[in-house]
Amino acid sequence: MFPLYLGIVPFAVAFAVTSRAAGLSVWETQVLSLLVFAGASQFSAAQMFATGASGPAIVLTTFLLNVRHALYGVSLARVVALRPWQRVVSAFFLTDEAYGVMVASGAKTFAFLLGAELSLYVSWNAFTLIGALAGSLLPDPVALGVDFVFPLSFLALLVPIIRARAELIVAIFSGALAFAISSKLPGGLPILITGVVGSLLGAWLTASEAPPTPKLRDAIREVA
Amino acid sequence: MSNFWLIVAGMVIVTFGSRLLGLFITAPLPPFWLRFMRFVPIAVFAALVTPNIAGSSGEGAMRFVAAALCGVLAWRTKQLWIGLFAGMAAFWLLRSVF
Repeated sequence: MFPLYLGIVPFAVAFAVTSRAAGLSVWETQVLSLLVFAGASQFSAAQMFATGASGPAIVLTTFLLNVRHALYGVSLARVVALRPWQRVVSAFFLTDEAYGVMVASGAKTFAFLLGAELSLYVSWNAFTLIGALAGSLLPDPVALGVDFVFPLSFLALLVPIIRARAELIVAIFSGALAFAISSKLPGGLPILITGVVGSLLGAWLTASEAPPTPKLRDAIREVA
Repeated sequence: MSNFWLIVAGMVIVTFGSRLLGLFITAPLPPFWLRFMRFVPIAVFAALVTPNIAGSSGEGAMRFVAAALCGVLAWRTKQLWIGLFAGMAAFWLLRSVF
């Protein structure tokens, strides 16, 4: 379980530094971690703020990135007996890692679920703050090349979740499509379009397969 | 950044909403959309990588080399942070040399 926390520490710091480099304040950076609490979408939002993307584009990209959490909710709701208010509370703090901890431990209680979720929440926010403050001490983040953390993070996120041929095809197609249209379209529009078109391609390519179920190893390797 | 709070509110609604939806859902989704959702992280992550590798600082070549190292290590180790740190270290090393 410990590597989960080790994994989110550099990512939280990297997000905070990128967010500061994108022009968000320490408080705005922290607010994203406190209220949204979803690493990949916080990263993309920071980047989109920097490029002047529209609000709807940022929110829709966030939706595309985070709608996968519904899969983990569906899976958890079948295993853990939850009252309605417990569903609401555990939904707010639900992450890929918390789901991974639940499946790995075999625990079936709300208390264990909330404990896993909150320990990740506290870690994520503590290291967001550290990164945001340390980032503000850096003389010029862009001159240091810190913006490079952004594509690298998503590359490091992407590679381990490619395990099947269809996933490799979708990744290559999506990368090429985004690269081709990013110079012609503003802000987050290429991400949105690529997210939808690439996922449609994937669903079409796998039309003959059985519906997927969330796997533990996927959950552990993705970020909050 | 007057739009900031409005955008954050939207992000919270769609993120919290997705998490709520799953925990309250009992009926299964249509198979096509289950498969669609499986590919969303892959398509979106790829879209966030390729347009941003080169950057605007004329360091495209060394960034590409560093990204390749990051990708290979992430693939071999299956660890996000090993690829990330190796990629940044390689980038900074190349920068200081060239």
